[in-house]
Amino acid sequence: VRLRLSIGMLALAGAGIATYLTVTHYRHIAPICAGGGCELVQRSQWATLGPIPISVLGLAAFVAIALSVLPRARTAVFGGYAVALAGALFAAYLIAVQAGQLHAICVWCVASDSVTLALAVLAGWRALRTTA
Amino acid sequence: MLAGMRRGSRSSYTEPVTSFRLLVAATVAGLAAGIGLIGASAATSHVAARTGGGIAIADGTQVRSLLAGVPQHGTVLGRADAPATLVEFADPQCPFCGMWARTTLPVLVRKYVRTGKLRIDFRGLAFLGPDSLTALRAVQAAGLHDRLWTALELLYDNQGVENTGWVTEPLLRLVLDTAGLEPAAVLRQVDEPLVSSRIASAAREAQQLGVPGTPFFRLGPTGRTLTTLTVTSLDPPEFEAAIAKVLGA
Repeated sequence: VRLRLSIGMLALAGAGIATYLTVTHYRHIAPICAGGGCELVQRSQWATLGPIPISVLGLAAFVAIALSVLPRARTAVFGGYAVALAGALFAAYLIAVQAGQLHAICVWCVASDSVTLALAVLAGWRALRTTA
Repeated sequence: MLAGMRRGSRSSYTEPVTSFRLLVAATVAGLAAGIGLIGASAATSHVAARTGGGIAIADGTQVRSLLAGVPQHGTVLGRADAPATLVEFADPQCPFCGMWARTTLPVLVRKYVRTGKLRIDFRGLAFLGPDSLTALRAVQAAGLHDRLWTALELLYDNQGVENTGWVTEPLLRLVLDTAGLEPAAVLRQVDEPLVSSRIASAAREAQQLGVPGTPFFRLGPTGRTLTTLTVTSLDPPEFEAAIAKVLGA
């Protein structure tokens, strides 16, 4: 229960961050930002995937992971884990892009990426426990 | 009993195997989806990265289309013999200058500059901080190649947060390149005497006029004394009315 609760809480926190970034994207405003890199990152070519802002994809992933803790069914456990794993890989890539390509750090994006990485660990642990 | 035990043991043996298969499948699916996302992102970013060196800016299509065919000479946008002149005092970092550039300038260009009725003269100020001066020098250097307005508008289109170091060399290179200039050549000219004198002259003029902030405008018939244009909004209507009044006079 504690593990499911942790995953759910983290996913909701991630959804909150993703919602904020989505709102700033569509309202064309700069995120409140320590360090000043948010706007550059958010306006970069890596902030969207085709016409879809990355924050929208993140929001969808966080909601899916949050919902996956509700049922105890194995499909939900492994589905949540698959989404979290995909998100974690992409989050690691986005962190590398910020550091290596843009030379700018968006604290909101890093927070969201960190939540995704943590979720992948917890969802992986939950999936392993289900297997055992 | 034995059959029951066998059934029980087979059941408890089968479930972990199925779960293990699900775990493997989920891992493979997650990895594939993650790699797919990275590939898609890298592929769509590659197009801009070829010209952008990894720094992303608006592609400049709108700016280039807006200014295509409009004469530029030094700090002036528009025909030299246009009957009305609008002087704009602006800092490249000033957000309201950026807002005016994105909302009102396009209207004025289409309605008055392109039709030869208005010329707009840029007075670049750098009072907001070090990024202002870096940007202003690059913009004025672009003016040496008669592309000041293209570079300025591209910079406004990609304006960052004040004094965060957003005016980087890669950004300037990309802006100048998008403006159709040779970035290396222009950046070598940022300390040219004409660049410095235009910046100093604008600062002196602003001081004499008591410019309280930017953007600040002076308007009047070309070649005659201009008067300060006081507006309550940076939207087009008040500018259009004032310009029409000058043109009608």
